[in-house]
Formats: sequence, C-alpha cells, structure tokens
Amino acid sequence: MSHSLEAYTDIVGLPVIHQMQRLGERLRGLRVVHVNSTSEGGGVAEILAWMVPLMKELGIDTSWKVIHGTPAFFGVTKSIHNGLQGKIVPLTKKDWGVYFDVNTANVSELRDPLESADVVVIHDPQPAPLLELCPKRKGKWIWRAHIDISRPDRAVWKSLRPYVEKYDASIFSMREFAQPLPHPQFIIAPSIDPLSDKNIALDPSELEKERARFGLDPNRPLLVQISRFDRFKDPVGVIQAYRLIRKVLPVQLVLAGGGASDDPEGKEILDEVMGAAGDDPDIHVLQLPPDSHRTINALQRLADIIIQKSTREGFGLTVTEGLWKGKPVIGGDVGGIKLQIANHYTGYLVNTPEGAAHRIRFLLHHREQMQAMGKTAKEFVRENFLMTRHLREYLTLFTWLLRGEGKHTIMV
Amino acid sequence: MSDFEIKDCSLLIRMSGLPSAVNLRELRDRISACSPDVLYHHFCETPLSPSFDYPDYRNDFAVWSKWRLGDEILAERLGMIDPYLFPSMEELRASTLEIIDDRLGEVTMIPWARPGHEFYFMQAITVAFDTGERIRHPDELDAAIDRMTNGSIYFHVLEARRREPVGQDDFSSWLSGQEGKWEHHLAAIRAIDFTFHSLSEIRRELVEGLSNARAKRSKHSARRAGLAGKERTRHDRAHDT
Repeated sequence: MSHSLEAYTDIVGLPVIHQMQRLGERLRGLRVVHVNSTSEGGGVAEILAWMVPLMKELGIDTSWKVIHGTPAFFGVTKSIHNGLQGKIVPLTKKDWGVYFDVNTANVSELRDPLESADVVVIHDPQPAPLLELCPKRKGKWIWRAHIDISRPDRAVWKSLRPYVEKYDASIFSMREFAQPLPHPQFIIAPSIDPLSDKNIALDPSELEKERARFGLDPNRPLLVQISRFDRFKDPVGVIQAYRLIRKVLPVQLVLAGGGASDDPEGKEILDEVMGAAGDDPDIHVLQLPPDSHRTINALQRLADIIIQKSTREGFGLTVTEGLWKGKPVIGGDVGGIKLQIANHYTGYLVNTPEGAAHRIRFLLHHREQMQAMGKTAKEFVRENFLMTRHLREYLTLFTWLLRGEGKHTIMV
Repeated sequence: MSDFEIKDCSLLIRMSGLPSAVNLRELRDRISACSPDVLYHHFCETPLSPSFDYPDYRNDFAVWSKWRLGDEILAERLGMIDPYLFPSMEELRASTLEIIDDRLGEVTMIPWARPGHEFYFMQAITVAFDTGERIRHPDELDAAIDRMTNGSIYFHVLEARRREPVGQDDFSSWLSGQEGKWEHHLAAIRAIDFTFHSLSEIRRELVEGLSNARAKRSKHSARRAGLAGKERTRHDRAHDT
C-alpha cells in the first residue's frame, strides 16, 4: 500500500516534506518513465510501488512500464543476474540473442513513451537494451543497478557493458558495487518505508500476541537474527555466539527466515542450523511465509539486541530495519553493514562468534548504554535511510541531469 | 532592512573515477592527484552525506585512518584539520599531504586496510534552491532556524563559509548588515564550533544561542527603556522645580 507524502510528516518532520515539494515544484510536468521486468515481487517492484505514486504526487508525470518476457528470457536474465554477482555462468550467443529479441519485441509498445520522456530510468539488466532500440530518444537515460556488480563474471559484464555504457548516468546502491563506466555514476543507498508492515509502529498487544505465539519468555533477554537460511548470513555462527553467552546469561535466540523448500542450498543450511540448535528450547528457528512482514516487525521490536552476523552482505536492509526499531545491532564487518553500524554508537561490527558473544554480553550488562545506542540508531536511520532521502536523491539527480550536468553546484 | 532568503540544498554522491586506496601510500598519492571537488567532499560534505556522523573525527580521511588503517596517531592529526581555515583547496591539500608524509616518515611499516575496507574517492553534486521563505527581522531567526532542514543548515552555515565573505556563515553576514545592534546574536553564533557538530547539533546550538541572545537583548532594551524613563522623570522633576 502506498501512502501520500503527508503521511510521513510525523516521522520525518514538515521541513523534510516541504523540501521534497520544493524540489518537486522545479520538476513539475517532467515526463519520467521507470522500466523494470516485474510489477510485483522483489525489491525493485517494492521500491517502484511507493516511488511512482510519490513522484506523481509531486507533480512529476511519472509512469511505470514493465517488459514482458518468455520463460527462456527470464532464464537468461537470471543467469545474467548471477553472473553480475560473480557466479561463472555459461551464456551463449544464442542466450544473448534471446535477451535482445525480447527487448525488441517489447519496444514496439514502449517506443513512444520512452522516446518522448524527459527522463527514463531503466532498472537492472533485463531492459537495458531498450536504449539502443529507441534511437529518437530525447531525454536523459539512467541505468539503475540494484545488484552488486563489483566482481562480475567478466564474460557477462563484457557482453552487457555495451548496452549500459551508452546511458547518460548510472546509479548503484553502494560505491563498492560500481563498475567503471564512461558516464557519471551516482550512489543512492536503499531505504526502508517506515509506514510499511515491516516497519510501522505496532501496538503492544500485537507484540505480546506474537511473543506468546512463539513461546518467548518476556523475562529473559531475546536475541534475533532475521535472514534467509544462507551460508553468508552465518546462522550457525550466531548459534555458536548464543552458546557462549548462555554460559553466563539466560538468553533466548530467534533465527527467522523464509521457508527453504524450493531452494536446495537453503534446505542444506537449514538442516545444519537445526542440527546446531539441537533440542535447546531457547533456540527458535522459524521458517516464515514470504508475507510475514508484521511478524518480522514484531520479532525485531521484541528483541533486546538484533544480530546480522553476515560474512558477506549487500546493503543489509535487515540491519536498517533493526536500527529503526531502536535496537543496537551486532553485525558482520562486511558490505553495507559497515555503513550502518558505527562501533560504540549504533552497535558493534564483529568478525567471529566470539566477537558477537563478547559485545552482546557487554550490552546486556549495560542497559543504559544499550538504550542510548538504540536511540542513536533510530535517529541515524531517520536522517539517512528512510525512503524520503531515497526520493530526494532521485529528484536531485533529475534536476542535475536536466539543468546542471558537469557542475558541482547548481542553483535552481 | 533586507530580508534573509532561506535556501535549501540537496546533495548526491558520485564516483570520482579514481581507484580506491588500500594503504596509506596510495591514500597519499590519490589525495595529491584528486580534483578539488573530491577533497571538498571528504572534508566538508560529509555532514550531508548518508553516513554516520562520527563525533570524534569530522573528515573521512581521519575516520578511515582510525577504523581501517588502525593508525590512531594519524587519525588524531588528520582529525584536527579544520578545512574552513584554509583559503583554498590547494592549501588544504598541501597541509593534508604534509601530515601524511610526516606519518609515512615515522612508521616502519605502511599501514594497510583489509580487503573490503578500501578508501573510495567520491565527490558530490549539489542542487541548491530558494525555499521562498523569508526572515524579516533578526528576532525571528531562532524560530526560523528551528524549522530548517539539514540542507538549509549546511547551505547557510558550512557551504556559506566558502562564499564571499569567505569564512563567514550567512546568518552572521545578514545580521551584520541589519540596522540596530545585534552583538548578542553575533556572539551566540561565534560561540559555536561548527566543525565539531553534526547538522542537527548545529541547528540545536543555533536555536538555543539565538533565543538566549534575543532574551538578553530584550532584557537589555527593557533596562535601557527603564533607565531612559527614570532619566526623563528626573529631568521633568528638575524642570518643574
């Protein structure tokens, strides 16, 4: 469900809403088209579901187009996706042909709106060839990479790069994810929606209901890690940390993630986790359905400390969510977690189960410090990682591309 | 009296095109070659970037030296650089390089960052705009600042120090051009060490300082009005007799 900009006033303050409206005023009437490959499911569709209505509300003529593909096309784009993230994938000339042909098939329907748009934002690799299929384009074209392409399979990147380098600009989620390209590359970090089910404030009765449902003891500290069952999230390392703490403190642990039935690797990791948990009644391994947003929200709010002990991570939005709940987060010293956790201020960065156990024990013995960290954490997210900042940065980029390209500062 | 025009700005970070640095020598070499916009970003634009405001160090080079190179001595030295005290980016660059060169001369091994903890050289673009809001009288200043975004605070307090008159924030420049005496207000602003505050803290300090200055000024005016009244009465009495 999308909300109006005004609905965020109590959270970010009126000046921030006004700032957005003023930036929007200068872009009123601008025709912006976003293109991706799915209208629901996945992070990109989630972002566009709130961003497109908010841009419209600001007076920007914004539309969202979805390219349609065949199963073969999505098989190829899945391989491209994996290849860009570093997996070696055997993509043939024929596969790249399928990729280009599906984009060609889509362009007849999309050419008019895309060629007449002032700004076109192409999300991820699937629709990237559309640019060269629109030779009469008049606006600025931006390629928005939502994935980590810092160490791609070189063959895949070599084949995709010719499509991407012709764009006027590209956007990456983190500086570490970018690849050298012959146009300006911008960094726009992901964000969370504070009014979504995953982040909205919950009634205490709902929290208690969830606590009872999972058999959690209200009188003992609770540690929570929300993550899919993936080796890079190190769930077994979290159990090791828990066991080290349990020697001195009666903590409980929740490891909650999506079901792993259709993911062979996920199933294997889940089995390892279950094995490591054994019959300890204070370790709760929860396989939650994909729409369990409020449950995840409740578990994060019930936690004393949130853990994200990844050994490899993208941006780590579960860390952002945890910080937003006013909790210190103990996280692996990797990826975007490094941007979000400042040692001693919003949590602790750790490298081992021992490190995690040490910091958790320290915090559980220093409740005041824990509360102060939680407060800092929430304000840090409010200032930096809510969707209002995300939207503002898009508006800034549009303004700069249309009116000030090449300059450091422009006055509009 | 001219009105104060409230401006706002929004910043967006971009890659500079320079390779990242993995050790102190590479950091030194990149700093010596980077564009002034890169230097300006890592020294001055950090408060407006989506990143944590470390209260101990106000520039990215000092933060990286401490947390990623593990060189606290270097971090302390770099952390004390106040970029606004330098008349130009080139002088800021020279001073930064001197500190690093001194450190390179002291250490027996070049400090390195672990893989994944490299220093990325970034720069930013800024879009500034007029909010349409105006401050008509200095007594309205504290309430108006309280309603400002971080972007406005950055523009009028930090970014302003690069514009003419160099080294001065916009509020002080405006107050200095107003009729009447605004020493209390100006002193309140001067008392704030802008380099060591986040933007929210600067806003809070300004609001507090300026509202105290306003209270002092009205107390002072009331006292002067009282004295003038007494003087008038004395004068009238003398005249009557």
